[in-house]
Amino acid sequence: MSAERIMRPLSVDPTKLVVSGLLLMVCVIGAAFNERFATWTNLTNVIEQSAALGFVALGQTLVVVAGGIDLSIGALVSALSVMIGFAGQAYPEWMVAIILGTVAAGAAVGAVNAAAVILLGVHPLIVTLGTATILNGLTLIVTRQPAGSVPEWVEGFAYGRVLGFPVAGLLMFGCFVLAGFWLTQYPSGRRLPAVGGSPEAARLSGLPVRKTLVVAYALSGVGAALAAIYFVARTGTGDPLVGEPLTLASITPVVVGGTILGGGRGSVLGTLLGVFLLATLNNLLNYLGVSTFLQWVVQGLIIITAVSLHVERRRDA
Amino acid sequence: MSGNAIFVPASKAPEIRANRPTEVLILLGFLAMLVGIAAVLSPAFLSASNLRDILVQAAPLCLVAMGQAFVIMVRGLDLSVGSLMATVAVLATAFDASSNLMIPVIFAACLAFAAVVGLASGLLVTERNVSPFLATLAMMIVLQGTRFAYTQGSPSGRLPDGFRVLGTGQFIGIPINVIVVVVAAVFLGLLLHRSAVGRRIVTVGGSVRAARLVGIRHKRVILLAYVISSLMSGLGGLFLVGYVGVVDNWVGRGFELDSIVAAIIGGVALSGGVGTVAGALLGALVLVVIFNIVVILGLPVEFQLIIKGFVIVFAAAIHIRRTSAR
Repeated sequence: MSAERIMRPLSVDPTKLVVSGLLLMVCVIGAAFNERFATWTNLTNVIEQSAALGFVALGQTLVVVAGGIDLSIGALVSALSVMIGFAGQAYPEWMVAIILGTVAAGAAVGAVNAAAVILLGVHPLIVTLGTATILNGLTLIVTRQPAGSVPEWVEGFAYGRVLGFPVAGLLMFGCFVLAGFWLTQYPSGRRLPAVGGSPEAARLSGLPVRKTLVVAYALSGVGAALAAIYFVARTGTGDPLVGEPLTLASITPVVVGGTILGGGRGSVLGTLLGVFLLATLNNLLNYLGVSTFLQWVVQGLIIITAVSLHVERRRDA
Repeated sequence: MSGNAIFVPASKAPEIRANRPTEVLILLGFLAMLVGIAAVLSPAFLSASNLRDILVQAAPLCLVAMGQAFVIMVRGLDLSVGSLMATVAVLATAFDASSNLMIPVIFAACLAFAAVVGLASGLLVTERNVSPFLATLAMMIVLQGTRFAYTQGSPSGRLPDGFRVLGTGQFIGIPINVIVVVVAAVFLGLLLHRSAVGRRIVTVGGSVRAARLVGIRHKRVILLAYVISSLMSGLGGLFLVGYVGVVDNWVGRGFELDSIVAAIIGGVALSGGVGTVAGALLGALVLVVIFNIVVILGLPVEFQLIIKGFVIVFAAAIHIRRTSAR
């Protein structure tokens, strides 16, 4: 493997530089205004708390690169968290199997999304919106309040530390590294942008378009499953509403990181930078005592700014 | 390359338009079937008072869905409608007026505000090439944040009593908000199907490039669609407040999804250029009747979500079959 190949996931483009610059700026401002901001404790907290967003944003990136969009993520996170809660309460001794089953269930829902997109020929936005609505309904019929419980050791997934580094954060980094290499180095991963750029061209050049789509959506489901496990580990219970904000939140870091809605182009590293930018910014705004309400305004403005900057660049290119 | 075409490869855009009158007739048949089912399940459903209640209840969604149809027609999507409805409602209470004479002023201010919001979304789409999904998503979040920051969580402020009359009152036996829906439907229907502007909307939705080549100023057409959608959301928000009787920060929550579902049931294609105002209107009615059937059956309200989910996917699938089979 040549050095150039290894560096490919890290390839630098203006978008990543801009996002990194913004991230640096937020950190400098934070360090200047609050002495507790630039501490190891705070850094690990930010990383730990961004894990759930990281998992779902990574899955969303893969789907978007493949030309789709997944609006079922939030509902899936809620549904799976409730599932873990109930299953964990009934069979605490089978917890490992339950966790594996959750990941499989997430992948299965993703595969169903892909199948509906392929077989019905319906726009992914509509399909995943439909799945989300159905999952929400089912989850809320099962329970309207947080319910169920899991054995205490599961908490380690959220609060545990390895050499002072949060477990959830490590797992998130691991997923990003794997996905980054897969997407840029391996034929099966490099099909994603090809299929997203032009399904027709991909089909004509003999790429397995359907299989690629199924894999992308299934991995998005896996991301949702990991986020669900993280939430259950953090709160110790299944919550039917926990995932709701995640659907739209998962899209923000993706577009901030320079992945283009519509498919064909995108970067896992960009998404990771996007996740960190949003997480540190929220952290900073919290330290500065800015209300949640105004944080929403900031988030909206970030989307607008980021997207219109990227688009301008794409047009020049 | 156009930012609006995002999500939909040009090659997938339906080449031939579905036959509009047939489409509307099928929808009418479907609606009649649903009403029939409801009547069998509960004879009280067909009583004049219940039917009137359903129409009154459906009115705000009808207004928003017709506006949403315009944006979808030009290959867009308006996710900000629900947030805009609530923001307009909060804006209406900001006048803290008790005199009914203020109602026209409140309406004018709210609709002007809505128009500005639509213009902003539209400009992001046309001038900055932002995908409609993101532009209106960002707008939704910004409006939500601004609204909460202004109300500090719970709106105070009064509304004139006349609002309640607009939302629930009658004029010569017909509910006022139903009259508003009919007037709006006729106006928007004429605009879309019988005017030069409407033909431009259809052309731009079919192919931005083709529209540009025949000299249509496509950006203006797209802007107009977003402004129409926002105006209809503003109107829908004001009438919804009149119907519900209270303003809170979440008035209109879920309307973004419901209005899109209604438009899709009504045969408006996400790929642009295909759709009717009557379809969107009937789609909204279908949705509301389905919700009512769930209530009649005594099922948990969450069943509405499950049914809605299936209906949205299959309605889209059926319309795709119908348009591509020709």
